[in-house]
Amino acid sequence: MSDEPIIVARDLHKSYGTTPVLRGCSLSVKRGEVVVVCGPSGSGKSTLIKCINGLEGYQSGSIRVEGVEVGAKRTDLPKLRARVGMVFQHFELYPHMSALDNIALAQVHVLKRTRAAAQERARNLLARVGLEDKADAMPADLSGGQQQRVAIARALALDPQSILFDEPTSALDAEMIYEVLQVMTDLAADGMTMIVVTHEMGFARRVADRIVFIDAGEIVEDAPSEEFFSAPKTKRAADFLSRILAH
Amino acid sequence: MPDVILKNLPFLLHGLWMTLNLSVWSIVLGTLLGLVVGLVRFVRLPVLNTLALVYIEFIRGTPLLVVLFITYFALPALFDYHTTAYRAAIFGFVMFIGAYLAEDFRSGLRAIRPTLIQAGLATGLTRWQVLRYIILPQAVRRVVPSLFNQYVRLVKFTSVASVIGVTELTGAGLLVNAREFHPVTILATLAIVYLLLCSVLSLAGRTLYARFAVRT
Repeated sequence: MSDEPIIVARDLHKSYGTTPVLRGCSLSVKRGEVVVVCGPSGSGKSTLIKCINGLEGYQSGSIRVEGVEVGAKRTDLPKLRARVGMVFQHFELYPHMSALDNIALAQVHVLKRTRAAAQERARNLLARVGLEDKADAMPADLSGGQQQRVAIARALALDPQSILFDEPTSALDAEMIYEVLQVMTDLAADGMTMIVVTHEMGFARRVADRIVFIDAGEIVEDAPSEEFFSAPKTKRAADFLSRILAH
Repeated sequence: MPDVILKNLPFLLHGLWMTLNLSVWSIVLGTLLGLVVGLVRFVRLPVLNTLALVYIEFIRGTPLLVVLFITYFALPALFDYHTTAYRAAIFGFVMFIGAYLAEDFRSGLRAIRPTLIQAGLATGLTRWQVLRYIILPQAVRRVVPSLFNQYVRLVKFTSVASVIGVTELTGAGLLVNAREFHPVTILATLAIVYLLLCSVLSLAGRTLYARFAVRT
């Protein structure tokens, strides 16, 4: 892990109309770091990571990804997004395309790889997430866990420098959560920079370098993961932990 | 087959051919127009969006016969060009069906989940690429039943072209009746032929939809 931060958010403010969602969030993620973002529903976690790849705008503050200001007018957002992968809560596979084509599409149209090269890479990635036999399957024929693994492969296909995960296991049945977390754990072990919004505290404790706790649009705590779990500094974080670990 | 039909078969078949000809051209060109106008409405292109809206509202508030009178009499007089009844009929049908198809396309485009669009953008695709490769293919599959519904309506609408003097199936049938006066036989024959045409079209629509439906 180098000390060079590849994602830096400074004093981020965002509101929908008059409702504030983010109230001065600052966050810095180094290359190779795994940061888990947690907090109550509606606290702004998803909004925060969608600001990082420009899917959501923000009113003030700054986000720099690999030195590029996301909110600047001249920023080539498609180019920036190709370097920041994203995995969604509800998978969001393209339902009219096979698993293989889902993974190949952006390689062909964004990275300008040949169709053959893109499919070759897609097959390798399917093997990496344990789905080499599902290349021709349509999303509707895959389980939730399988769909999410294809979605992770789709993000990896662009060789991103970092990946954002937006509650990747929240829509999954218990027995499928494990297979997705396993893929994510392997990714982290390979040195991928990851920001993960999740309620999976076991995963957070095992895999994350740091935990960022958000409540009501503010980053309340940002601490190394062991420290966060054993001795949360704020009452809000302690309350959240006791609620979520109780069951 | 009744004698009166048999005797006039070549003439009636020529009318049928004209009905098919009008339908095919109007369906092909009307679908292209509807797709373009639907896309303009969906992405809310400035100025063009307003024009599209005016066009759609105008067509929805105007009887088909009046539209044909406009394309046959009014526009040529206004812009000083020469047209034929056949061309004016196709022009009118295209304008008429295009407005309805545009609204069908737009509703299909709008039915795509915003998060699916975000997923496409997140991989670095441009807005145009997301539209082309992710939104449009799904929207088109989704609206196949509505499209064929409009096509079936259009096949029946082509009979209105007889009023401006295009001898398509209905026009041919009316001419034969004027000469022979067998209204029941002739009109029943027309009705059966239209029913067959529309049934084949509906069946084609259902088959296409079943074949290419997007399962979610």
